[in-house]
Amino acid sequence: MGDSYRVTISEEANADRSITKKRKGVKKDMDELKKEVPITEHKMSVEEVCGRFETDAARGLTVAKAAEFLARDGPNALTPPPTTPEWLKFCRQLFGGFALLLWTGAALCFAAYTVQVFSEDEPAPDNLYLGVVLSAVVFITGCFSYFQEAKSSKIMESFRNMVPQQALVIRDGEKVQINAEQVVLGDLIEVKGGDRIPADIRVVSAHGCKVDNSSLTGESEPQGRSPDCTHDNPLETRNVAFFSTNCVEGSARGLVVATGDRTVMGRIATLTSGLETGQTPIAREIAHFIHIITAVAVFLGVTFFAVAKALGYTWLEAVIFLIGIIVANVPEGLLATVTVCLTLTAKRMAKKNCLVKNLEAVETLGSTSTICSDKTGTLTQNKMTVAHMWFDGRIHDADTTEDQSGAAFDKSSPTWLSLARVAALCNRAEFKAGQDALPVQKRDVAGDASETALLKCVEGLCGSVRAMRESNALLAEIPFNSTNKYQLSVHETEDPADGRHLLVMKGAPERILERCSTVLLQGKEQPMDGATKEAFQRAYLELGGLGERVLGFCHLLLPEDRYPHGFPFDADDVNFPTEDLCFVGLVSMIDPPRAAVPDAVAKCRSAGIKVIMVTGDHPITAKAIARGVGIISQKSETVEDIAARLGVPVDQVDPTLVVACVVTGAELKDMSAERLDWVLREHKEIVFARTSPQQKLLIVEGCQRQGAIVAVTGDGVNDAPALKRADIGVAMGISGSDVSKQAADMILLDDNFASIVTGVEEGRLIFDNLKKSIAYTLTSNIPEITPFLLFILLSVPLPLGTITILCIDLGTDMVPAISLAYEQAESDIMKQPPRNPKNDKLVNERLISMAYGQIGMIQALAGFFSYCVIHAENGFLPALLPGLRVLWDDRGVNDLQDSYGQQWTYEQRKILEFTTHTAFFVSIVVVQWADLIICKTRRNSVFQQGMRNRVLLFGLFFETALAAFLSYTPGMGVALRMYPLKYTWWFCALPYSLLIFAYDELRKLLIRRNPGGWVEKETYY
Amino acid sequence: MAKDGEKGGGWGEFIWNPRTREFMGRTATSWGLILLFYLVFYIFLAGMFALTMYVMLQTLDDHKPTWQDRLSTPGLMIRPKPETLEIIYNIHRTESWDMHTTALDRFLADYNNSVQMEKSDECVPDQYFKQDDSGDVKNNPKRSCQFNRTILESCSGLEDRYYGFQDGKPCIIIKLNRVIGMLPGRDGQAPFITCGAKPPLADRQLRLPPKKEDTEKVGEMVYFPPNGTFNLMYYPYYGKKAQVNYSQPLVAVKFLNITTNEDINIECKINANNIPPGSERDKFAGRVSFKLRINTHTD
Repeated sequence: MGDSYRVTISEEANADRSITKKRKGVKKDMDELKKEVPITEHKMSVEEVCGRFETDAARGLTVAKAAEFLARDGPNALTPPPTTPEWLKFCRQLFGGFALLLWTGAALCFAAYTVQVFSEDEPAPDNLYLGVVLSAVVFITGCFSYFQEAKSSKIMESFRNMVPQQALVIRDGEKVQINAEQVVLGDLIEVKGGDRIPADIRVVSAHGCKVDNSSLTGESEPQGRSPDCTHDNPLETRNVAFFSTNCVEGSARGLVVATGDRTVMGRIATLTSGLETGQTPIAREIAHFIHIITAVAVFLGVTFFAVAKALGYTWLEAVIFLIGIIVANVPEGLLATVTVCLTLTAKRMAKKNCLVKNLEAVETLGSTSTICSDKTGTLTQNKMTVAHMWFDGRIHDADTTEDQSGAAFDKSSPTWLSLARVAALCNRAEFKAGQDALPVQKRDVAGDASETALLKCVEGLCGSVRAMRESNALLAEIPFNSTNKYQLSVHETEDPADGRHLLVMKGAPERILERCSTVLLQGKEQPMDGATKEAFQRAYLELGGLGERVLGFCHLLLPEDRYPHGFPFDADDVNFPTEDLCFVGLVSMIDPPRAAVPDAVAKCRSAGIKVIMVTGDHPITAKAIARGVGIISQKSETVEDIAARLGVPVDQVDPTLVVACVVTGAELKDMSAERLDWVLREHKEIVFARTSPQQKLLIVEGCQRQGAIVAVTGDGVNDAPALKRADIGVAMGISGSDVSKQAADMILLDDNFASIVTGVEEGRLIFDNLKKSIAYTLTSNIPEITPFLLFILLSVPLPLGTITILCIDLGTDMVPAISLAYEQAESDIMKQPPRNPKNDKLVNERLISMAYGQIGMIQALAGFFSYCVIHAENGFLPALLPGLRVLWDDRGVNDLQDSYGQQWTYEQRKILEFTTHTAFFVSIVVVQWADLIICKTRRNSVFQQGMRNRVLLFGLFFETALAAFLSYTPGMGVALRMYPLKYTWWFCALPYSLLIFAYDELRKLLIRRNPGGWVEKETYY
Repeated sequence: MAKDGEKGGGWGEFIWNPRTREFMGRTATSWGLILLFYLVFYIFLAGMFALTMYVMLQTLDDHKPTWQDRLSTPGLMIRPKPETLEIIYNIHRTESWDMHTTALDRFLADYNNSVQMEKSDECVPDQYFKQDDSGDVKNNPKRSCQFNRTILESCSGLEDRYYGFQDGKPCIIIKLNRVIGMLPGRDGQAPFITCGAKPPLADRQLRLPPKKEDTEKVGEMVYFPPNGTFNLMYYPYYGKKAQVNYSQPLVAVKFLNITTNEDINIECKINANNIPPGSERDKFAGRVSFKLRINTHTD
């Protein structure tokens, strides 16, 4: 399957090529798409809009016009991006990289066999077998990677699921139900609660219409729609409704101002599916590595083909050498090993709530140097919670932890009881039925976020709100509206003997204060004086400065004489006082950070990862949360903080002092790319507030321009482009939209930022372990190649055959190489900076130097030693071997004389030769024991690391057992031409195995003793 | 790739960077150190290899290899030995067979009686000629027994210089591969060679005897020495170091009335009950087959 990497590469290359052709056009389109939404109709009057689209706000388009527009603009549908046919994808998996090299090998095998069939009586089927095996290897790995790739990239499908089927349009003054694809510009459309909006529309009239824009903007609360333009930004104004969003309640009529790909959603879809995503870092590394190996293989193959011809070998022989060199050079099992290692890590990460969609993303996460995180839901709990209360002239802390483990405050004050009563009564939120067994914080609530927070707070601290509400029957109520900015209700008191009524009110603190003439202190009503007002202002500012949403509460006991029992309170007429009330207190709420987040952020920081917060929220709230979780650390100051502290204007602050900054979307909009780069470069701690989805993409691209590997979290459809563009897009498993999950590489099952950090740790570990695994696998290439080279150059009988090479690459080396993925980290990998993709390569020259130049050479000698031992013990002393090949491989020579004067038939020699192959193979297994143990660590001694990796122990056992099986199973002589070895031959390689171990321990000792010394510079991979 | 961008100057600069005085990314000192390291490292490895080889060679016996299990069935071989073991010639065209007779001449030169007399001893026939060492004292060099060319009689090339090739009654010489210490025999008697028609492949797999007509085509044969025996006195063989002058015994088979102008497949095998039959795969273990075609047309 290894080929998945190569495929990504070749696909990338192809994509690049096709893009270059139409680069200009596409590039411009993409830049265009990245800009803000170009809708202007919301600022025009209805008449102007009608004029623009030749339509009528009451009668709609004429049928003829509609048909004309449909012909002109095309159907109102999302255009799928051009896709590559499946068979082509499959073919790409089958050709390229190592696969091409192996196909060449297989083709040569078949060619050689064909030649043998025609030129020999009873041709040996070895080449046929080898050809079949090689083809099978490539084909199977090709299929594997094809299926692995096939599951990705369903972005467009997920968008299409959001598109409505039907639309109600008014044409020629008549309502008609038509297919949503037929909707054209200028159509007058009617939508009602439950409908999906079939195009971007400019609202002409609305009746209590609310739309759910969450899929587009991430705004979770439904928003009202009306014909008035309320904001310059088309995404914020109330008179535009968007394609594919839901109308939740009410009804509206509107004129279509954009259809299909030109709608806001269509632009996001096109942008997302059209964005070029760079290669993943690991794919780049693997490509780099494949290039090196392929170059070596081709170079050696061609050179020795030429040398063989020059030495007078026949074409057939030269071709067989070439096959051998290719097979020996290509680590057939390595890419499979890499995939398995990544899969194992992906599984481990899935257990820790990181579901990885694209295997390569496992490692990308480890290379991440910047994380752009959402605030809501990722860093925070995504539920409003009461954070502070102000009463009796003091601020009290409420418990905001998820499990209510925080400190409680003094609840004995009678003012608190009054405040709790107001908060509970003047509150329309209710617990849903049947949850009495659950803890308060976990219960579902029907109601808006603030009221929910209040409800839970009171329920948690004072007991059943329902009981409280039952004993204080509701008599009248004025719901919250944006002009009053308060909510009010009138209740009976809980004391049946008390005939008075209780009026409770909550709302914007300054509005509440205006209506109060007294204040409740320690349960006593006191007149409101200047000092109290000042205290209120201070508290209000302080709580606001914490980024909290503050509400004011007041009440009034209505005198019984004027409002006796049974008084007809009328909410519309307001026949009761709403002024001169008694101020009770303030309650402030915030969406508090998740418990694990501050630690996770700190971990990121020590791991050298920059965490950037990107949120649509208000800057003050954003900054407060950023401080709360440590994205802006305690000591850091923004330029505004410094200016305030020093009392100087913002532009006089020394920019070198500034490490943190809060950038708003409005500022970002006016920023040049250079300025953005400067901001990103010069600040360690950055918060982007009030940003739009397009800006998220700009931020990601800005970070990537700095050379960072960027992880981005997101949940809405609007985040999809950024998720796609990021090196690793992280979607939210719980709150995320389908589109965002499709565009992402990874899904956080618990929406928790802390899970990303565990992912980073796993990703870093796997990168280190892959290095070890590759070092282990590559080492055995040298003892595989050198036999062929000596065979050609010295004309000795062949020491190692192609079949045995495949037994190593696809057999004995596999499990040990995979077992290195289970190796534990040598040191705290989260205390090191992320790897620099430019310098810290997966396979670097030091790894090659170690694997090929040093350990591999020792291994080759071990193999040759076994080879010599077997030849010598059977009668062919080493001195006889050079030059012996010609007679040795001559079928006609059946009385070849050995060093003792004995004579050998061809078949007898061949059995001896294959026995040496088996012994060479076993020797490689024996030296690979030592190699596996030394590859466990790159710096530490094995004695420090220990041998706790059970899979690795199993790997050692497995390779040995497999080697014994291949050697001793009866019939192997026929099947694989492997023969039983004398037991002593197993020990030939042992001295070399010990040498490898001792040599590498010494090397690592020198590395530890002299950090930065020559040994480290030349051999630390 | 990022690497390319990083190099900046591209390949030219990579090969020689005048600014840092780096050749292929390394300065002269750096190259020197790494090359020195590899030199020392490889010298050390070579030393290690030499040491292990030396130790291994010490464990070997000078006169007998450690293992001989691959040679339990010694091979048979014929002379003359054309490339494909097909002897095809026309009796009327001397040039089609004289290379065979010259090959035999050359092969048999060592067996000239004069040479044999000079190098070897006369031994007691029909018994193994054992020359055991007495404990640690090696009984070397070992003596060899004479195999005089005249034993081959009419196939010796002495009376008939052309070994019967010229009149369609060719001699083929068969030899048994040398294996140190081997004592071939058949119930204490000398092992012997028999030749006959080679059954076709299918029959051989079913272990059927050759067809009668094939046997008739081969015709009569005569063996030299009589019965095609390898006399026991030529065994055991003590290896080329101890028994420098060893003469490998031969058997000649002369085809007296072989069918001409036709491919005749002949198989000869050793008959000895202490030599296991070789594997089906090895066509020369204890047997040898060749093709004989004698053309008589005169065109």
